[in-house]
Amino acid sequence: MKVLFTCAAALIGSLSAQQAVTPAVVQDHHPLTESASQAAIYKSVVRIEVASQVPDYKTPWNAGRFSGGTGTGFLIGKNQFLTNAHVVSNARRVLITMHGSSRKHQARVVHVAHDCDLALLELVDFAPFADLAYLEIGTIPKLESEVRVIGYPMGGERISVTRGVVSRIDFRPYAHSRADSHLVVQIDAAINPGNSGGPVLQAGKVAGVAFQGLTQADNTGYMIPTPVIKRFLKDIEDGSYDSYAELGVYDFALFNPAMRKVYNLNPNDSGVLVSSVTTGSSSSGTVKAGDILTAIDGYSVDSSGNITIAGERVNMNEIIERKFAGDKVNLEFTRDGKNFSEEISLKPFPPASMYSVQYGKKPRYLIQGGLVLQPLNRNLYAAHKLNNPRVRRLYSEYVKEGLYKERKDILILTRVLDDPINSALSGYVGSAVKSINGVDVTDIQQAHALLNPTEPTEFFEILLDGLDRPLILPNKGLVEANQRISENYGIPKANNLSN
Amino acid sequence: MKTIFTFSIVLATSFGALAKDAADSVIRVASTLQSYNPSQPWEKSSPVKRRALAAVLPNSQVLTTAEMVTNANFIQLESANGEHQIPARVVAVDYEANLALLTPNSEDGIKTLGQFNGLEIAPSAHLGDSVDIVQIEDNGMTLITEGRIQSAEVVSSFVPGHFFLNYEVKASMQSAANSFTVPVLKDDKLLGLLTSYSAKDQLVDIISPEIIEAFLKDAKDGEYQGFPSLGIGTTRTTDIHFRDWLKLSSDKGGLYVTRVLPNSAAALAGINKGDVLTSINGKPLDRRGYYQANGYGQLFWSHLIRGSQPIGSTIKLGLLRDGKPLEVSATLKRAPEGIIPSHSYDKAPRFLVKGGIVFQELSKSYLRAFGDEWVTRAPLNLLDALNHPEDYEKGRKRLVFISAVIPTPATLGYESLNSVIVEQVNGQAIEDLPSLIAAFKLSTENGIHTLKLDSQPDTIYLDSKVSDTVDQSLLARGLPSLSRETE
Repeated sequence: MKVLFTCAAALIGSLSAQQAVTPAVVQDHHPLTESASQAAIYKSVVRIEVASQVPDYKTPWNAGRFSGGTGTGFLIGKNQFLTNAHVVSNARRVLITMHGSSRKHQARVVHVAHDCDLALLELVDFAPFADLAYLEIGTIPKLESEVRVIGYPMGGERISVTRGVVSRIDFRPYAHSRADSHLVVQIDAAINPGNSGGPVLQAGKVAGVAFQGLTQADNTGYMIPTPVIKRFLKDIEDGSYDSYAELGVYDFALFNPAMRKVYNLNPNDSGVLVSSVTTGSSSSGTVKAGDILTAIDGYSVDSSGNITIAGERVNMNEIIERKFAGDKVNLEFTRDGKNFSEEISLKPFPPASMYSVQYGKKPRYLIQGGLVLQPLNRNLYAAHKLNNPRVRRLYSEYVKEGLYKERKDILILTRVLDDPINSALSGYVGSAVKSINGVDVTDIQQAHALLNPTEPTEFFEILLDGLDRPLILPNKGLVEANQRISENYGIPKANNLSN
Repeated sequence: MKTIFTFSIVLATSFGALAKDAADSVIRVASTLQSYNPSQPWEKSSPVKRRALAAVLPNSQVLTTAEMVTNANFIQLESANGEHQIPARVVAVDYEANLALLTPNSEDGIKTLGQFNGLEIAPSAHLGDSVDIVQIEDNGMTLITEGRIQSAEVVSSFVPGHFFLNYEVKASMQSAANSFTVPVLKDDKLLGLLTSYSAKDQLVDIISPEIIEAFLKDAKDGEYQGFPSLGIGTTRTTDIHFRDWLKLSSDKGGLYVTRVLPNSAAALAGINKGDVLTSINGKPLDRRGYYQANGYGQLFWSHLIRGSQPIGSTIKLGLLRDGKPLEVSATLKRAPEGIIPSHSYDKAPRFLVKGGIVFQELSKSYLRAFGDEWVTRAPLNLLDALNHPEDYEKGRKRLVFISAVIPTPATLGYESLNSVIVEQVNGQAIEDLPSLIAAFKLSTENGIHTLKLDSQPDTIYLDSKVSDTVDQSLLARGLPSLSRETE
């Protein structure tokens, strides 16, 4: 048995070298034994070791926390290793190790997509890996079919294989960005830290990338299915990742009989109510709140906003999921009893980044007179206790109510670095800055300009949202105070206005 | 050894003499409190019993705290020796000042209570005065603890945000039965009622005689009005840069006015947001809002309004506007309640159940029911309305919202609508719950009610026939009623 295995492994080595140009799985082209093909696959599944530097939104002027972790990745093409974005987030050094070897090879991140938790890595020197087989991306596995999860869970150095059964195919939130939902396949094999980024295989092809588990349930793992992987690989073909486009439609299920009566719908009529449309989004200007969306790209939309693709009932956004910015989508909707069919052009919606965790970016901030101002986003929310109801409201309505148009950044007074110039202001930490010297704050650059004018007035009057008194900073002594504050609090740089 | 012994005998004698007097003036109060269920306003939550002490006053009246009788279904006075049990009712209650005046329900009770030694109210005390804290033990024995007034402070004891003059007394009390609302005497007169005791600091808070006197005076005519308030929000002027900006000279104190409630005493007197309140009736306020009170040291300014001044009296307010001094007169009145009442004690919440949708009027009590963490736990849009009622006041007397959706055939698909503010029903603007009830009575085109909401979607519909049927079945399922139009 042992001899056989070694022999098979050797065979594969030479074979995959031949096929290095066109990615394919060995099994398809050569009648290998199953164990031989598995051995080849194992070789192509690598261990990734990452040293990272995580920015600290509490002290944005500091370098951040140095830490690290391990994950799994796999070879899908010439010097192309696929893994999870969360494995390589905020990475400063990436090392790749082959199964059964202890040599660490330096790698770098080529593309990272935080919204779908995928990343593509390459080795500085691919030569030692050149003989390995490329794993082929397959299709969505069927419910109840068996899959194998391969990876380096819990930091081990040897490969681990777990078998599981596909138990659900669903549209679910992706934990990495905390703001995006895509198609997910649930399996009954546990996915543990270190498994992340590893392939889930079926019939020798990649059925998904293992990426998250559940803390409150045992033996439940989730993988990123192939449509999401293929979309990512297509998106980066032009050399950059553009992220998902958004429809910008909020829907409300049309279950209520009175509601259906008002909209003249028979029990079997399709369509979901558009409860609001995000201004500036792809469908803004075409669809309105109160319309009934009946079909998307020809797929009939049911009363709860789902469509049926290939026999599976999925959220209608799955159509948008598979498309790219610039692609067209056909929307059919009813307004005041009349039917419309309009084609819209999809575009990404940058304001939505308010709600997704930011990685690999130096936090933006601005310090004047010891007042630390930072733009509101998910990271800031997690770092500071923001309980002020007005701030919470600004956060939740930023996209929905179109606040982003007038107020690209919502600046929060996150800290007062105590100094004689601001000694009475620490009680106001946690509020949003509404205006400076009577001018409404729109973004951090503008706020910086307002707080550093060429001809300063005697006082800076800073109004906070929901507070009935202005905060006053005198101009006199400000330069000295800034000097003092930067020395006392160890602040190398008074601001970082862009990332 | 002998000396000490003699001494303690002397003490015991005086103790006995006092105890005898006090026992005739102190009574137990047992009350059963029951508030409405915030999420199911047609029913009351399970009742709670409370026991405390109270001071007997002349004219068969009894003084206790508002806390003891708020939402009370049943109040009974019990003499220390267990001889008398007298059902009683509330004559006047002030939740803000935390005081309640009780009297027996029956002639017999009034007669019985008349045999007690009714306490007079003591004059204002001085810092350093010693006082007697009166407790009753289980066996009916009176227990007197001596304490010393350490300071006078303006604090809030029951309804948050309402501040009244209290004495802080240093005393080492022991726990005895019903040691709540304990009367505190000085020279055999009632000085105050204990509202809190910190065992760690050995400090007791007692409501001052000034506040009790004003409360009793107001209650005398049977129509209790309450303490006046100016109707302003203020902030300190301790921040030196803020002072420079306000052009406040360093010898001046004062409070910056951040908010003036519409139709309040301050608004009618012409006080503006941004003014600095520098003095009240000639008493200058310092930068934190304290003034020099005779005998009490520094007191918070609100005592000048909510201490001795009755409703209708005129006070002089010194202001600084744009750096220039100015004086205005204000006629004191109750602060307008606004669209979100700060409490709904002893009131039955108004509600309507229509087809399974539960409508209520927002009150602070409703939001408080979300628990200790209500400031972060309660629904965000309702919290915002509480903090910024001015944004919601237009066209409203109260804020009507959907507090729950009972799953019924009429509310199919609406289960997720919660804490949503109601704007219009059947084309009628909703200003309070009675107007909502009226709007649902309007005849509708094609038998469908149209509800405009401050949410997404902004319009939902209810089939009037289906919801009427649902309403009937909800009654059959045990809801005692589908609406309450009067509080």
